[in-house]
Amino acid sequence: MTKYAFVIDQRKCIGCHACTVACKAEHDVPIGVYRTWVKYIEKGEFPNSRRYFLVNRCNHCDDAPCVAICPTKALYKRKDGIVDFDSSRCIGCKSCMQACPYDALYIEPNTHTAAKCNYCAHRTELGLEPACVVVCPEHAIIAGDMHNPQSEIAGLLAHEPVRTRKPEQGTGPNVYYIGADEAALNPESAVEALPHMTMWSTLLKPGYEDENDIEKNTSLRTLKTINPLKPYAPLSETKDGKPTAQIVYDTPKNSAPWGWKVSTYLGTKSIGAGTMIVATLALALFGLNGAITGVMNALLGIGAPIIGGFFIALTLLLLVADLKRPDRALFLVTKANPTSWLVWGGFLLAIFGLLEAAWFLAAITGFVNVLLWLLIPTALFGIGAACYTAFLFGQAEGRDFWQGPLLLPILFVQAFLAGSAALSLLAWALHPGNSIDTFFTISLLIAIIVHVLLIFLEVFGPHANNHVALAARFMSRGGLQGIFWGQFFVIGSVVPLAILIVALFVPVAQPALSGVASLFALVGLFAYEHCFVVAGQIVPLS
Amino acid sequence: MNEIPLKQHFAPSGEQMTVRDLASCPPPEKWDDWIEYDAKAWPRKVEKHYAIIPTICFNCEAACGLLAYIDKESGSVKKFEGNPYHPGSRGRNCAKGPATINQVNDSERILYPLKRAGRRGEGKWQRTTWNEVLERFATKIRAAIIEGRRDEVMYHVGRPGHDGYMERVLGAWGVDGHNSHTNVCSSAARFGYQLWCGSDRPSPDYANARFILLISSHLETGHYFNPQAQRIIEGKMQGAKLAVMDPRLSNTASMADYWLPTWPGSEAAVLLAMARILLVENLFNREYMRRWVNWQEYMAAEHPGEPQTFERFIELLIDLYAEYTPAFAAHESGLPEETIITIARQIGEAGTAFAAHTWRAACAGNLGGWQVARALWFLSVLTGSIGTPGGTAPNNWNKFVPAPFLKPRPSEVWNELLFPPEYPLANYEMSILLPYFLREGRGKLAAYFTRVYNPVWTNPDGTSWIEMLTNEQQVELHAALTPVWSETAWYADYVLPMGLGSERHDLMSQETHAARWIGYRQPVLRVYRERNGEPVRYTYEANPGEVWEEDEFWIELSWRIDPDGSLGIRQYFESPYCPGTKLSIEEYYRWIFENSVPGLPEAAAREHLSPLEYMRKYGAFEIPQHKAPVFTLNERKLAPSDLQDAQVDEASGKITRDGAATGVMIDGGAYEGFPTPSRKLEFYSATMKEWGWPEYTIPGYIRSHVHRSTIDPERGEYLLIPTFRLPTLIHTRSGNARWLYEISNNNPVWIHPVDAGRIGVETGDLVRVTTEIGYFVNRAWVAESIHPGIVACSHHLGRWRLHTDQGTDRWASAQVELKREADETWHMRQLQGIMPFESGDPDSARIFWREGGVHQNLTFSVHPDPISGMHCWHQKVTVEAAHPEDAYGNVYVDPRKAYQVYQEWLAMTRPQTNRPDGLRRPLWMIRPYRPAASAFKRET
Repeated sequence: MTKYAFVIDQRKCIGCHACTVACKAEHDVPIGVYRTWVKYIEKGEFPNSRRYFLVNRCNHCDDAPCVAICPTKALYKRKDGIVDFDSSRCIGCKSCMQACPYDALYIEPNTHTAAKCNYCAHRTELGLEPACVVVCPEHAIIAGDMHNPQSEIAGLLAHEPVRTRKPEQGTGPNVYYIGADEAALNPESAVEALPHMTMWSTLLKPGYEDENDIEKNTSLRTLKTINPLKPYAPLSETKDGKPTAQIVYDTPKNSAPWGWKVSTYLGTKSIGAGTMIVATLALALFGLNGAITGVMNALLGIGAPIIGGFFIALTLLLLVADLKRPDRALFLVTKANPTSWLVWGGFLLAIFGLLEAAWFLAAITGFVNVLLWLLIPTALFGIGAACYTAFLFGQAEGRDFWQGPLLLPILFVQAFLAGSAALSLLAWALHPGNSIDTFFTISLLIAIIVHVLLIFLEVFGPHANNHVALAARFMSRGGLQGIFWGQFFVIGSVVPLAILIVALFVPVAQPALSGVASLFALVGLFAYEHCFVVAGQIVPLS
Repeated sequence: MNEIPLKQHFAPSGEQMTVRDLASCPPPEKWDDWIEYDAKAWPRKVEKHYAIIPTICFNCEAACGLLAYIDKESGSVKKFEGNPYHPGSRGRNCAKGPATINQVNDSERILYPLKRAGRRGEGKWQRTTWNEVLERFATKIRAAIIEGRRDEVMYHVGRPGHDGYMERVLGAWGVDGHNSHTNVCSSAARFGYQLWCGSDRPSPDYANARFILLISSHLETGHYFNPQAQRIIEGKMQGAKLAVMDPRLSNTASMADYWLPTWPGSEAAVLLAMARILLVENLFNREYMRRWVNWQEYMAAEHPGEPQTFERFIELLIDLYAEYTPAFAAHESGLPEETIITIARQIGEAGTAFAAHTWRAACAGNLGGWQVARALWFLSVLTGSIGTPGGTAPNNWNKFVPAPFLKPRPSEVWNELLFPPEYPLANYEMSILLPYFLREGRGKLAAYFTRVYNPVWTNPDGTSWIEMLTNEQQVELHAALTPVWSETAWYADYVLPMGLGSERHDLMSQETHAARWIGYRQPVLRVYRERNGEPVRYTYEANPGEVWEEDEFWIELSWRIDPDGSLGIRQYFESPYCPGTKLSIEEYYRWIFENSVPGLPEAAAREHLSPLEYMRKYGAFEIPQHKAPVFTLNERKLAPSDLQDAQVDEASGKITRDGAATGVMIDGGAYEGFPTPSRKLEFYSATMKEWGWPEYTIPGYIRSHVHRSTIDPERGEYLLIPTFRLPTLIHTRSGNARWLYEISNNNPVWIHPVDAGRIGVETGDLVRVTTEIGYFVNRAWVAESIHPGIVACSHHLGRWRLHTDQGTDRWASAQVELKREADETWHMRQLQGIMPFESGDPDSARIFWREGGVHQNLTFSVHPDPISGMHCWHQKVTVEAAHPEDAYGNVYVDPRKAYQVYQEWLAMTRPQTNRPDGLRRPLWMIRPYRPAASAFKRET
């Protein structure tokens, strides 16, 4: 069976960028995005300094994470090993960009759909080499069937020591490098002096779009242009505080694919799911004796699903709004990929939304016994809606920070926190009575404490690798430290904790104090989600 | 669909084109209708029909092959890929090849001839007709010819991209008007090579070398970047060691086994130290030296009292170079002594498989830079590696320029604006001094063509060119022939759009490796139409807009200059097949292919094609080696008929016939030798002595104008290297290629961390760089990749335009204000960097690069080397943190100082105007567009 692969021979590569341009010509790739590109790094001190090149592109992985996560099977693995894509199926969810550890994908600005190197499958089909292979002056890019022992590529793989990028990701990459330098292969071991500048270019980088123009009469070294990771990286190879490997040429990278819509989605989903989770618990504790009447019904039977339903609807709306092709949102159903947690998440949210609607209808029409039937399914689907994101983010193989085992419990606690907060606020308005007030107060208090502990464990505990450590440090000591310590920790965690403790001792003021604390806690929650989403994407993938 | 049957792809030579399991190119039998799937529609299988027509890239001078894919539906070129039938480029290209499609589709392109509507340089343009252009110039040129002002017509060319066509045109007109860019480029290296062997370019056989020494960056730029980079790495993969001399860590130096960051200008000292090691350690090729070096001439002239033996010569040689110890070379260059010794020994071991190359680099940077090439060739001579497999040949052994029909007689005119009396040995025209010569009243120009040449931007002291071009007394009529806007075109009377690589005919041959080939550039849309039976009279009918091709322009113009043939010009532009009718461009090349290319008619016949059809189909042809051998041609024996009536000089062995040296007698055999006065390799150049430079008769070391001792970084002084080039750009020709600018678009000043610390700047900060005549403000790039004490700023970048949306391509240029103050000083200020703009191309709104670089060349005065005439590019500058009033891109120039510096350098010359033989220049030396021998003689 044919298996196409690339060998890139960095012993021969002269860093000429012909591959980049030939690829652009073959595929009409617009300005600012690349299917293959060459990165330059420099190491060493004069006169022992040297420059190293690395040709980057899709690795056509055996176990391609982009294929697994793609919700509509727009990305797919061909029998001949090529990871190809069909832009007519793509909804622009960008999850493939998070899943790929190699930074291979981008959103095509004309079609707003994902694209990447597809090994020029339209050419191999005819027996032609990919365009980059044809153009390469040094024949440093070798394409072919690695399973055919007669092929040049099979010969090279048999006789030369080869390396791949990020083998630890377990994706089975099929771009094999001969003679590549470690600091060029590993994006975490070299830094750029300034994101806006390379040895021969000055550019606006995505992520710095607020800087519309570059000031002509000042240095480029302004607060806005300092590389957010520069103070930390590389962690391993420093000498006198100076990095030993510097990126001297690179293309402008993709901006973080997921932004405020995704971090807000995490918060709204926590509220939407958590409200019902906490409501089912409260119902189990206080309502099973047939007391689901009056205020309790208004609070848990009607109020909770209204809040929950509203926020789940908002969540779905944010998800669709984040698509680059929202017009194709229904492809999630009509072209669903069963391996994608994006699909399963959609189904979970939809079913959960329906349960909430049923809950609401039962409560408002007085069929309170139906609520008891709905209790366990709602709780389970609520937990599912709250927690599936751990599996979705887990499929984002490129973002190691999101792969931590604590994400699942954190998501659960966040739902509990958000639900307690939302119901506390509602209780403040509805005055359901002391015992349930105290329940919300205590559950919120416990949720905040556990949340903070888990997050501290995540941020300050042992890190799986350098990538995770960089992201965590960016959160606690880098660009996000103001939001992390100020909005998440102090305003969003310490302040509500203090208020809640006071509330426990002042029963009269408890509903009001818990309500106020809830607002603070929600601020904390959203602040953390922002940190989590941003920090997860701060470490360069290539 | 057209699936390619595997392993059936053979080049006409029989060489297998594809040894892999995928093919690199569709088989030629399918080029007329190649069906490919549309990449954008994929994975839907949408079939696209293409006609594939070969042409030659017009970006750099390497003349790599391209295949144009013409979409049959739209009738336009879709893309360019490599042509595997091209012997030089072998189907591969650098980034600039495929980027040709950007240039063709450039939204900023000039499509119609333009005529100025306001004052020169005012920027008001109106569309005109080719007819008007031709009439205007024909009238002007005809008058100049008739009135005997044959030095007032000038064709000033950037990189020609053809072999010989224009020399024939100018010859037919009988004017001495060929001017070139060469003395901002390669005239120093050329001079060094020429002194040795009579040819002025090297042709290394990298692929077979065992040791390669580059004083160049041929893995990223340079003469024949792509074809030569292929062979350098090929040699390296087969075990050759690579050493690169460059004070800057180029990509080439990064690939080297030995990076030798010499202080600029010290290279000759290092090379001579290596030569001395070869001599002292007896690592040189004794037999080769004995046979082929003109030691007899040296001994007779300089040591008549000594035994006239080779052994004595070698002893004296060792004495001559005694001072070039490794310690001395290390002191001059900053290299470790051991490195110099190691490399010398490896060169010695490589022997005849030692390949070496320098072209611009140190030669172009330094006063006396021509000695670098001369010292480098010395190493090739010592190892006996001249024109051997793995060695370095004179370029004309690896190049083939076929003759066209009917060669005009050389003109009887000598133009002193080109070859002034101060520079009798200048390798090429003294192009950079033209504005001063006109200002000094040495002449004027009635008709001036700048052809893909941008002196306002490229040449030193660009404001002197603005002054010249805007002065209607000095330059009466000026047309810029160019495919793209340039800073120079802005000051012209006419801007005439000429075709890009896929829109014109040219014939080229380059010494890319040990072989000889020709490449045929074609207007592919014209060829496509003609193939489909649609007659095309002129290429512009098939090109976009009214873009002409120069070949046809010159034929048309020549007919109008001499409509009735009475001036004797028209005959050269009449069909060789149908006398009296106007020559068509097809006939011009058809005649060459049928009559002047050995082996081509036979190769064509084998494929049942005419020679022209063969070239149209394959775009290139390699001359079979048995018809035109490429190695050790000096060893070719003279035929007995060549020796009839010949005289042989007893002592030197020189064979002369009718006063001209034709060969040399060695050990009793008569050989062709080299095209030098002695027919040998001239270690000793009597010419130098005869022409006023007795101290430079042998390879030596001239202290550069930026010698180490003259620069003190502690006092803020640095050496500026302003010439280094990038793999993705080509001078000012590539501003219309967005994929290239996307990669590289700025030229920050590279500075070593120690120097940056002293100045107090970091990467991204603004610095002010002050030259002899002005300053510029740019950003610092602090890096370990540059020699301490040296700063470097790349060429190509810093393009500008004066108008919001017209002038130099907006993909590549900043909008600036350029003012001349009352005190005559010039001030440039960036109004806006490169910004996104709306056009028919959505990509123009996606431009993410900004500053575009700083135009440093404006702040350089001319530095003409007093012998080779080369502009010595390197600058002694001061570098400091920018002043508060400085902004990125600011340039200030004082032209009075520039004129002063010109006079200082002019004073270094030794004019030879009182020679008894009246010669203006040695007769044996190469002169581009060579007039008759009589013109070499000064009228007395």
